[in-house]
Amino acid sequence: MPPSAPDPVHAEPPSTAATAAVLLRLEGITKRFPGVLALDGVSLEVRRGEVHAVCGENGAGKSTLMKVISGQYPPDAGTLHYRGEVCQFRSPADSEAAGIAIIHQELNLVPHLSVAENIFLAREPRKGWLIDRAALRRNAQHCLDRLGLDIAPDVLVKTLSVAQQQMVEIAKALSLNAQVLIMDEPTSSLTESETEKLFAIIHELKRAGVGVVYISHRLDELAQIVDRVTVLRDGRYVSTDRFADTTVEQIVAKMVGRSLDDVFPRRSSVPTADVLLRVQGLTRQGVFHDVNFELRRGEILGFAGLMGAGRTEVARAIFGADPIDAGQVMLGEQRLAIHSPRDAVRHGLAYLSEDRKHDGLALKMTVAQNITLANMAAVSNRVGLIRFDKEQAAAARYIKALDIRTPSSGQIVRLLSGGNQQKLVISKWLFRESRVLFFDEPTRGIDVGAKYAIYQLLDELAGQGIGVVMISSELPEIMGMTDRVAVFHEGRLVTVLNTRDTSQEEVMHFASGRSIPSPV
Amino acid sequence: MTERQKDLLQKFAALASLLGLIVIFSFTSDAFFTVGNGMTVALQVTSIAFLGIGATCVIITGGIDLSVGAILALAGVVAALAVKAGVPVPLAMLAGLLVGALCGLINGLCVTVLKLPPFIATLGMMLVARGVALQITDAKAIGGLGESFAELGNGSLWRVVNIGPDGFPDVVFVGIPYPVLLMVVLAVAVSILLNRATLGRHLYAVGSNMEAARLSGVNVQRVTLFAYVLSGLLAGLTGCVLMSRLVTAQPSEGLMYELDAIAAAVIGGTSLTGGVGTISGTVIGAFVIGILRNGLNMAGVSAFTQQILIGLVILLTVWIDQMRHRK
Repeated sequence: MPPSAPDPVHAEPPSTAATAAVLLRLEGITKRFPGVLALDGVSLEVRRGEVHAVCGENGAGKSTLMKVISGQYPPDAGTLHYRGEVCQFRSPADSEAAGIAIIHQELNLVPHLSVAENIFLAREPRKGWLIDRAALRRNAQHCLDRLGLDIAPDVLVKTLSVAQQQMVEIAKALSLNAQVLIMDEPTSSLTESETEKLFAIIHELKRAGVGVVYISHRLDELAQIVDRVTVLRDGRYVSTDRFADTTVEQIVAKMVGRSLDDVFPRRSSVPTADVLLRVQGLTRQGVFHDVNFELRRGEILGFAGLMGAGRTEVARAIFGADPIDAGQVMLGEQRLAIHSPRDAVRHGLAYLSEDRKHDGLALKMTVAQNITLANMAAVSNRVGLIRFDKEQAAAARYIKALDIRTPSSGQIVRLLSGGNQQKLVISKWLFRESRVLFFDEPTRGIDVGAKYAIYQLLDELAGQGIGVVMISSELPEIMGMTDRVAVFHEGRLVTVLNTRDTSQEEVMHFASGRSIPSPV
Repeated sequence: MTERQKDLLQKFAALASLLGLIVIFSFTSDAFFTVGNGMTVALQVTSIAFLGIGATCVIITGGIDLSVGAILALAGVVAALAVKAGVPVPLAMLAGLLVGALCGLINGLCVTVLKLPPFIATLGMMLVARGVALQITDAKAIGGLGESFAELGNGSLWRVVNIGPDGFPDVVFVGIPYPVLLMVVLAVAVSILLNRATLGRHLYAVGSNMEAARLSGVNVQRVTLFAYVLSGLLAGLTGCVLMSRLVTAQPSEGLMYELDAIAAAVIGGTSLTGGVGTISGTVIGAFVIGILRNGLNMAGVSAFTQQILIGLVILLTVWIDQMRHRK
């Protein structure tokens, strides 16, 4: 925002964040859910013109804290001071009216309305009884321009990409002229250049005196914008530091309660030479073309590539979730005829989707029921009735083996944290005794500590002779965990590289479609 | 009160309101709390319960079945027409059941193969089945079906009758009507199916998350199809029982019964978004509706007031249920 556009709210001269007035102060906030103490006496202070990061693992209570601030959850104890007064917001609309805006982790847009209609939803400019469509369009255009976005205000939101929708969400929050802006994982689906744009805007907001609460798993990006950082662990307040006085390693250590020596565990398993799965000439018109690769027993094979390169689509097609037009899949010496996921499951294939909530778990069902879902026969008697003792035993075994944090095997899955949900999906396929695992973005939305546990698990699985295909958009993960990498570009498998002999740069080179580097 | 106690209390809200109703009606009418009236209520509840059991299975998968009222009419008149044409009663009733199952199968195929929304698929079937029932009977009731046709709906087990010295029969025990017996057997069987059979678990999985179920190797189409066929079959059964009770086949019978069935399921805690529901809840729901009707009748409350009260009860119980699920 140019300084020539004075805003009465932000009129006072910008002061340094360290000495600025306190906008928002939380003291001893406690929030209890049935069986879980989500927040236990948490305090937080946001000053005018500061970016305050809130860090913690999944389930540490970050999102719950934000929902308490916005009035979505009433706290069980503790007080909230806003601009010097004790406040208790009754609803998000209440806090929004007071000048606190939230950009949610989940997108809260109405897909069938236009961008402009979404930005000004429930705040539409009016001409008498009717919506002033010209003003709506103009105001929306102004919001979009401010972010430098190339999105037309009249476009329906459902036609936008996830990243574009995220930017619309940000535009909407900015249009509220909020004094406190809460951002919950705003960059998780943004590209690098979009993230840059967002940071430029955050800097402007700082200069205008807005207090920003910033939640992100990407700790490396904090340095660019953050003034102070508060760490939460298991619903408890751990510390608040000036970012300049601490390091990312120290923050991580406080988050997990111990220091993490390595991001990736040492690979203990060694791939064998036996080919487990052989894919030949796999083609689906317009999606992927002539894909060939082999997966060995005990191997972790990475699928690298840019978004939309066809990695997920290939995995889904092999698993029978989508049809193929040509090609064959061999499991050992046997040629597979897979027409549906049912066939694939019967042959010992498993697909762990990138979107656990959408197509990995039955969220309304219990932990035990989810674990046994793909292998009901193993917990049933001869006439097909479920034996609850066997089911409980199976659930107890995996809860212990994978260290799934749940009050009981009868817990409804919706209430578990992301990392534990991911472990649950893995349990389901282990219980099925799968021989080939397709693992799509195994650590998306999972915190540092749980990531390590998932990596360890992958290594153990490979050690047991399972073939693992790991689809990942995070190159460090590919480099740290796989034995070989298959690189995809625009629906073609370009090359397969030995992970040990390659580099991130080389993988990126192939993934971005540049031809094989010419020998110097 | 602890969370657990609260949960338990609210879990039995439907059961508690049922008991409350029984107590209240016992005061308003002396004839209410008697074995004879109990059997009458149970008999009246059977149709709602049959349909409700089917509706529960369909709703658990995330669907809905609006066609059961029309299917029961079609099944009933087909059975009656078969008897008129000289088919033995058991075979005629079997034909009625098959017609119901066939209608359910068509519903299921429309949902799974043609991918029609369940609401639309079964709305279409509701009109078609009712139309066919009226067409093949010329919209006239079919009477004179004979004593054996009446047996299923009016007979009972363990009925004890002494012929008194005056020559009049003296009923010692009214017996358990066959429909009530059927209701108990069906409720127990479908309960076991839902709780303990793989198929039942798959019904819940499909309703909770269809894509997750599919990717776990569940045959989603077959499971969904089963729910609609069961619902149609039970509608066919309801048709046979109802027409047998009246000893007349009415093509206009069963109007709005689908809504009673859905209401029973919902009062019993079945979630219209799928994945949640129990047969015990639905049977309690059916009894709540049945006892409200019976008790209000005996207390001399008009049919219109009854409708208003039942509507309010549905709103109240579902509201309580929502409160329970709110965090």
